[in-house]
Amino acid sequence: MNAAENGTTHPGAARVGIGGPVGSGKTALVEQLIPRFARRGTGLAVITNDLVTEEDAERLRRGGLIDPDRVVAVEAGACPHTVIREDPTLNLDAADMLDMRFGPLDLILLESGGDNLASTFSLELVDYWMFVIDVAGGGDIPRKRGPGVLLSDLLVVNKADLAPHVGVDLERMVAEAREVRGGKPVVVTNCRTGEAVGTVVEHIVHGVLFDG
Amino acid sequence: MDRPRRRRKRARGPCQDGRGRGIVAAMLRLDAILGLATDDAMRERLHALGHRGAVETVRLERSDMRRRRLRATTDRGTDCAIALPRDARLEDGAVLSIGEDRAIVVRAAGERWLPLRPRDAAAALELGYHAGNLHWRVRFRDGLLEVALEGPERAYLDRLAAFLDDGRARRVE
Repeated sequence: MNAAENGTTHPGAARVGIGGPVGSGKTALVEQLIPRFARRGTGLAVITNDLVTEEDAERLRRGGLIDPDRVVAVEAGACPHTVIREDPTLNLDAADMLDMRFGPLDLILLESGGDNLASTFSLELVDYWMFVIDVAGGGDIPRKRGPGVLLSDLLVVNKADLAPHVGVDLERMVAEAREVRGGKPVVVTNCRTGEAVGTVVEHIVHGVLFDG
Repeated sequence: MDRPRRRRKRARGPCQDGRGRGIVAAMLRLDAILGLATDDAMRERLHALGHRGAVETVRLERSDMRRRRLRATTDRGTDCAIALPRDARLEDGAVLSIGEDRAIVVRAAGERWLPLRPRDAAAALELGYHAGNLHWRVRFRDGLLEVALEGPERAYLDRLAAFLDDGRARRVE
């Protein structure tokens, strides 16, 4: 019995959160994801969260990868985690608006503002979330066991190419990430070149889109 | 009612390193909560199906009960793609599918708590502040502060090491 037969509303787009520290490559990941989802025919919209600007939203709108109207900015005005965890009302409203205006959408990506290792997404807001850290931020990040690293559905270790330049043992960093996450998935990417971003897409498709 | 989707093509599903690929088994798409196992009408049908061993259970962690979309496997190994309306809310006993041959019911795993006893009032203040600072969900019972575990207990004990080491708090059974 599907939603229509059951008299319920369309389930709406899958909502996927992308969090992580400042400069780890969240927006670069979104820029790599957009054309990949476009190629597979996934109806997509994006919500960005910034402190007091629309910097990330503007970057995506100017990039020409997506209809600018499908990019909505939420200004947190405070610690970014407050609007994705404690009170996600602004993001819920933005996602509902996108669903109504462009629906039926398949997927809404919600990029969090850059935050610390403790930021997490409310599961009232998203169905699935990933946490992006980067090699240049330090090989010891997984060992610090921040909630973002531990609890996210998918951990993305970005800027893999920088490891030899910043003295990070990437193999060890990834092994420690896998260990502290108790078997939950880890993907190593280079979002400048798009390396392994396809694997991130596969995780989203498998986890919440179900159409792969 | 059930809508199994069988695929025999090479999987495009996730793999830890993007290399290992396998065959995708049947996936059952479930997009509504049809009722609760305790509803009168449901109880009767589930009872009948249960006699035939045709009731499958999806067991979810408490934290996962807030999701509207998730992939889960029943106790019989059925791969379920759950996609509920945004105003739906999973709860223990939610019936996601029921037909002539099979029913699928959600069961919430019992919540795990880490009970901590502070040494004195000063330690209790510090412990409460620490737990709040880490955004832990807590409850209070008989002078204990209990932390809801949403991940491995070890990760929580690591964050409490200073309290446990100097005796400001101790873990109780």
